Amino acid sequence: MRFTLIKNVKQDKSMKPLLNGLLLFIILYLIFDVFVKNHTLGLTVQTVSTTLFGNADEFLDPMNKAVFLEFVHMQIFFLMMLLLTLSAVFIRLLHTKTKAILTMNLLMIFGLFTPLTLFGAYFFAAEFVNLYLVCFFAWHIIALYMALKSLWELNFAK
Amino acid sequence: MPSKAYKYAVGYFLLFSVLLLLSGTLIFAEKIGFSHESIQSYYLGNTTSFSSAKTFDGLLKIIVPHIFAFGLFVMVVLHFLIFTNKRNTKEVQFLIYSSFITAFLELFSPFFIIFGVEFFIFIKLISYFLFNFVILYTLFILFKSIIYD
Repeated sequence: MRFTLIKNVKQDKSMKPLLNGLLLFIILYLIFDVFVKNHTLGLTVQTVSTTLFGNADEFLDPMNKAVFLEFVHMQIFFLMMLLLTLSAVFIRLLHTKTKAILTMNLLMIFGLFTPLTLFGAYFFAAEFVNLYLVCFFAWHIIALYMALKSLWELNFAK
Repeated sequence: MPSKAYKYAVGYFLLFSVLLLLSGTLIFAEKIGFSHESIQSYYLGNTTSFSSAKTFDGLLKIIVPHIFAFGLFVMVVLHFLIFTNKRNTKEVQFLIYSSFITAFLELFSPFFIIFGVEFFIFIKLISYFLFNFVILYTLFILFKSIIYD
């Protein structure tokens, strides 16, 4: 086995399909994560609030503190691994573009604030639910853009 | 430019790592507690609080996903040390060995607790704090390297 540095991943016959596969799976994860979150936590202010704080009128209990913490803990782990992987590919392919760093910064900031605002909503004020939803959708949209842009750069850009 | 962009990406990853440790600590405090008695009653059950003892299967369900997650997390965080000026130093070797050993003890000490070796309650607690300390110290080195190197 010989380890070498690949200078141009776009022209490498092994790295190109590997990165295509990874990016495709990231896109699939991003899409299906929205469906899963819709089912587990909700995607509107009303549904997220009901899941976190319960609803006396509908006899729904609030989310248990330990269950909430485990949920957030797991989300942070997946989020950090996904964002690091996607950013590494994105930087590798698009580091010459001027807005690449800005896009990556926005992704990371919205990604960081997603669990933080959910924490804030549960422990401090219900208004944080609005911010959580903004951050959640923002990082998903930016990540989707980055994955699609990387795919384009890898396959079609000159 | 790619180097600068990678520094940003790693910096954010380190912030996520802090959040992960923080949420882990909150879970430990909420579910188990940091005293000898609370750890004992969590794993061995308590008649006054009506909590049942943890079973071998129950522990396995919690630990199995954590084995992979711990390994991956520790490897990813520590491999960034290779890109600092501390590469190939004894300090880095110590950090690598101590983080994997403390992670191992933290994960597997509950099995000894439920088998009746109460001494492992202390091992669980000490290994938990040591693991967090080692990772936080590594994060500190990496943050310093991103900012100053």
